[in-house]
Amino acid sequence: MASSHGNTHSEPAKMEQIITEFFAKSLHIILESRSSYVSSRNYSGEQTVSSPSSSSSSSSSIRPRDRWFNLALRDSVAALENIDLWRQSNLEPMFIDVILLKKPIGWDPVQCSPRRDIVRNLSQKEPYPSRNPDQEEFSYEAKTEKIIERWVVQYESRKSRESSSGSKRPTSNSSHILYKKAILLFRSLYAMVRLLPAYKLFRELNSSGQILTFTLAHRVSSFVEPFTRREEAEMQRFGFTPLDTSCGRLCLSVIYCSSLTDVSSEPSTPIPPQFIPDYVGSPMADPLRRFPSLPVSQSSPSCSPFGRRHSWSYDQYRASPPLVSFSPSPTYSESRASNPNSSTRRLPPMSLPPHPPEANLFHKKNASFEEFCFSPPFSTSPSASPPAHISGIHPSKAFPRADSAPVTIPGSKFAYGSGRSNKQILPPSPPLRGTRLSVLKTEKDTGLEHTSAKMEKLLSLGKDESGRYGVKIPSNNSPRISVSRSSSRQSIPDDFDDSDFAAPFFVDDDDMMEPPSRPESFNQKGHMNEPFEPGGPFPVKSQDAAVGALVQMLKAAPPLCRDSTNSINLPQSSKPEIWNTRGESNQISSAPELQQTALSAVVSSGLAMSRTTADAFEELKSYREMKELLLKQGVVSQTLSDSSAAESSSRGTAGF
Amino acid sequence: MNCEVCRLKELDVEHFEIREVLRCILHTIFFHRALGLVRPKDIDLELFEITYVQCGDVDLEKKIDEKIDQFIGWVEKHPNKKSQICLSFYEVKNKQPSWFNKTERLCWEQWYINLNVTQHAKLHSSRSHHSKPVVDPGERAMEERNARRVALEVALREVLFQIIKFVNEKKDHIPSIPNSEIKTFPYEISIPSSSESGFGMDVLKRMLQTGHPTMLS
Repeated sequence: MASSHGNTHSEPAKMEQIITEFFAKSLHIILESRSSYVSSRNYSGEQTVSSPSSSSSSSSSIRPRDRWFNLALRDSVAALENIDLWRQSNLEPMFIDVILLKKPIGWDPVQCSPRRDIVRNLSQKEPYPSRNPDQEEFSYEAKTEKIIERWVVQYESRKSRESSSGSKRPTSNSSHILYKKAILLFRSLYAMVRLLPAYKLFRELNSSGQILTFTLAHRVSSFVEPFTRREEAEMQRFGFTPLDTSCGRLCLSVIYCSSLTDVSSEPSTPIPPQFIPDYVGSPMADPLRRFPSLPVSQSSPSCSPFGRRHSWSYDQYRASPPLVSFSPSPTYSESRASNPNSSTRRLPPMSLPPHPPEANLFHKKNASFEEFCFSPPFSTSPSASPPAHISGIHPSKAFPRADSAPVTIPGSKFAYGSGRSNKQILPPSPPLRGTRLSVLKTEKDTGLEHTSAKMEKLLSLGKDESGRYGVKIPSNNSPRISVSRSSSRQSIPDDFDDSDFAAPFFVDDDDMMEPPSRPESFNQKGHMNEPFEPGGPFPVKSQDAAVGALVQMLKAAPPLCRDSTNSINLPQSSKPEIWNTRGESNQISSAPELQQTALSAVVSSGLAMSRTTADAFEELKSYREMKELLLKQGVVSQTLSDSSAAESSSRGTAGF
Repeated sequence: MNCEVCRLKELDVEHFEIREVLRCILHTIFFHRALGLVRPKDIDLELFEITYVQCGDVDLEKKIDEKIDQFIGWVEKHPNKKSQICLSFYEVKNKQPSWFNKTERLCWEQWYINLNVTQHAKLHSSRSHHSKPVVDPGERAMEERNARRVALEVALREVLFQIIKFVNEKKDHIPSIPNSEIKTFPYEISIPSSSESGFGMDVLKRMLQTGHPTMLS
């Protein structure tokens, strides 16, 4: 490893780099398993997924940081920030205190923060507050804190070492050997932090469903107040064998409380898992779902919870506030829970790492980190890969939509139920997905003859349809689109819109069973939604496309309807565009139409009810009568050539 | 090359604990000897409040489990016997390849895991049938069991510390790391075999076994 980034460097330069990275890695390993995930806001349900044991294996990408000492770690926000700070400090010793905070029962987790000035002043010259200042103000309650571990990482230069101890001469100063030994040391350290008693507390903190009467904080600084004799008597020390470098040595040691039983045996209050829709789905909660890859620097401190929202959901929620009351999170946290591997990767530090009060930059970071800490569902996915997010997206859309669906089944807030109900109401949609011809044919089959001569009828149907959909469309339409466009996903935007669009509607499972016959984009989508039940968001698409197809048909198909698009009263200005898009995508996806046609024959019943075959037949008859009449009158040739005339005449017949 | 030896403290385990204990110990050792790029995996023991670390290599995990299965099989045939598992790391010497693999191995480290498999559970249950105690026998057995388990947890923790300390102290004998892609050094896990044969016999036997693929299935 040393050689991999070292060939161009001189030996001392390599040494120096190893020394710097040694500090960074030590800090990272320690804080990764000490800085608690319990944050002020996500202490309830979503922690379920954050068992420490699930650990770091999920992310497959290897970052440069991981390569150091051949040890890939999960991200620890606390560690990363502190490392940045420390790098400026010119190889000063690094003291990492792990602090146990006990709090009275009835303590509010929102208000947790180390109280530095009550029990004892931990460091006279504490360079950084160990918590976000704005949270600090909550903290004046009776709390006690105790340092349960103190890690010391320091570089002793040769001079000071020789004066203090006459240790044996280094066997070799080569950076290779140093590097190898550092690898070994970090393996030990990694195992060690998991064996010390504090790790048990860390685990408890991250296990779900409990409000504990303690929490862990940490403090990184270059000065500490030494322990008193009495304190030290209760503690044990473990020193890792120092690593010799060319001009000094690297030392790592820990002093720790060997017994913490009094803490963990304290009563804790179990919280039954519960949905708090207003909480999780609120604008405050939504920002919590966040991409792990979110750049740190984007946030601004003041509006961070909202301003940094990066995902589609941000736009969506902002644009359509009513949707907010439904939250995808219940679904997600459950699905997450089944995926323990990825769960712990990015979680918030219980106590935010020390920052210099003047360093606004870090507060910003802090804020942003904190947010994305709060979003286990998203942040836990190993990468911001499209599938995860899309699959995450749909239900959230489905929920609000489902609620605004034309027929609301009481209590059917799950996409499922409403999907089913929609299925019953909107049977003709699937056939419409097909090309025009097949659609017409299908409609004939199903007795929907309104597409025939009577444009009035047809237009009114169009209105009907748009009316039906309109309930959902107007509120969500535009935000969705803008979002899907802005997202960097690879899926075809139109397609995505489609699925968006009709989110609450669901097609039979058959639809999902036949992905191969679908166009590519469909397959993709199906794939993305695999984690969800078959009734899930995916099939939605066909309904949506059906609407598009209908519009497309109305616009382009029969000679009589040349003006139809103009006369259709669209609920929203943005609609025609979308519908067009739909139509296109629909044409592209002509493959599924066949199944859809077949399907429609079975499914289409609901809408057909309102316009029975008899009705249609009557219409047809009247049309024939009209036609005969016209023929008789002998003005046929002109009127037929002019579609608008035909339309007017057909309008006339509508009165019959 | 000198071969460092680490003899781990003996643990009193019951039959059902063998697997977890061995996994924990073996994986911890391997984690310290897998010096290639690893993405560690934390594993919480089910029986004890201990978290150990795996180096995240599926093949290695499989091999360890296989060996543990073999060991448990041996224990079942030899109840109440102290047993030892030896994990050795070696270097393959770049000599002329000979047909007999064994000669090429240069062992640089050996770990001895000592287990004393006991049958407390059965003793308890059988005793409770016969006895006419003042205290509820089941309850007492439970208490004893808990106490024993706590003791084992402490002892296991000590063993893990022992590993860490050994790793920490002895670093000079470890061969250089070839490259970060190769996770672990070559190793051999030897368990007591039914014939009490030594290392060589074991190897020979395995060779014979592999000579008859039909027997493997």
